[in-house]
Amino acid sequence: MGLFRTKAIVLRSINLSETDKLVTFMTDHYGKVKCVAKGARKIKSQFIGSLEAMSYIHLIYFGKENQNLFRLNHADIIQSFQSIRDDFHKLYMGIYFNELVDTMVPEAHREEDIYHLLLDALETLKDQSNVEPLCRMFEMRLLALSGYTPELNHCMVCKSLRGNGWVGFNFSKRGIVCGNCTNQAPPQIKFTTGTLNYLKKLLTLDIKCCGRLKFPKGLDEEIEKVTHRLILTHVGRELKSYPFIKNMAAVE
Amino acid sequence: MKRPQAVTDLVDELKKLPGIGQKTAERLSFFMLRGTTERAEKLAQAIQNVKAKIILCSVCHGITERDPCDICQGPNRDHTQVCVVEEPHDVYVLENMGQYKGVYHVLMGVISPLDGIGPSELTIQQLKEKVEKGGIQEVILATNPNMEGESTAVYISKVLKPYPVKVTRIARGLPIGSDIEYADTVTLLKSLEGRSEML
Ligand SMILES: [Zn+2]
Ligand SMILES: [Zn+2]
Repeated sequence: MGLFRTKAIVLRSINLSETDKLVTFMTDHYGKVKCVAKGARKIKSQFIGSLEAMSYIHLIYFGKENQNLFRLNHADIIQSFQSIRDDFHKLYMGIYFNELVDTMVPEAHREEDIYHLLLDALETLKDQSNVEPLCRMFEMRLLALSGYTPELNHCMVCKSLRGNGWVGFNFSKRGIVCGNCTNQAPPQIKFTTGTLNYLKKLLTLDIKCCGRLKFPKGLDEEIEKVTHRLILTHVGRELKSYPFIKNMAAVE
Repeated sequence: MKRPQAVTDLVDELKKLPGIGQKTAERLSFFMLRGTTERAEKLAQAIQNVKAKIILCSVCHGITERDPCDICQGPNRDHTQVCVVEEPHDVYVLENMGQYKGVYHVLMGVISPLDGIGPSELTIQQLKEKVEKGGIQEVILATNPNMEGESTAVYISKVLKPYPVKVTRIARGLPIGSDIEYADTVTLLKSLEGRSEML
């Protein structure tokens, strides 16, 4: 029996029984962890308020090292990120970030970089009003940290890049294809070198500075098509929360 | 010796009920086994009745034996005030206070992307149509004070914005992350009295 202490972000909280909740955390030290929070649904519970999705907390839990379900012992809020939950556009984007991490990260794998990416993304989401570039950057960075960086520097087939205004992209090969190699790897999408440069920036720029990225009109959709389809190709299905980002923000 | 199939079947069915594990299911099964046939039949009949006789009210979507329900038909109820709740059982939680005299509208859930529940899976459209018809002065949003409940309340207030109706939200006297089902009567009453208009 071990007692584990770490900082964590609440990915998802669901009702397990009349009194208990099942909470999924992305932790600093132990990767993705699932805990039963006994009595968390009672109105006088010590956990109340600290287990809402996106809450950033000090977490203490216990259990046997190699099991996959632990018992929650203590949850203390560091940052509630309430302002994200209060804004429709930000709320569903935050839920999307959480769902992506929950989907792409296996349990009990220490993933410090992904943990910090999620924390930085939520910090930025809280402060930024220009949130589309953040969403694109989160998708690209999460893919990269999971070992699926798209090849953007040279053609997947001949390893060169002869730029002639546009670049092709092949999603199953996860990289760009030059004009000479379209027979070997037919591109599913074509975009301008302008888009290519933005995609490269999404992989390298500090996520906290994403507010500086302003996609020119028309390019935002093209960039979304690339980054989100990379996610779809990797995960194999659409994420449940993704349609909500646009649909719910449209209600004003 | 292997346990008789009939007992195993009962244990398995009981285990599917909320809050009942293997041990409790076994205890209940053997309790039924030891008792009279009459007792077992009464329980079986009561369970069947719940499914056969209980329907959803076509006006408020609460559970009832006749349609419209007693609350919707009640002569002493204030039909200008509609309290919006998540689930049918929330109606009884609020009714137990014995203070609220308006009527209800049950959403049949709450907006929850990860469960695949969007506004169209709920009875929000029906609520909008009710308000459109007129006669309602106040809509009280009594969804749970957690992430899903709050965002559903905000969504409904946006949907109802074009109409001349006062939209209020129960007070945040209830802790964030809680469930009104588990609130005591005093706390619930305070949160209803302290409701504020949604802007
Ligand atoms: Zn090539
Ligand atoms: Zn009714």
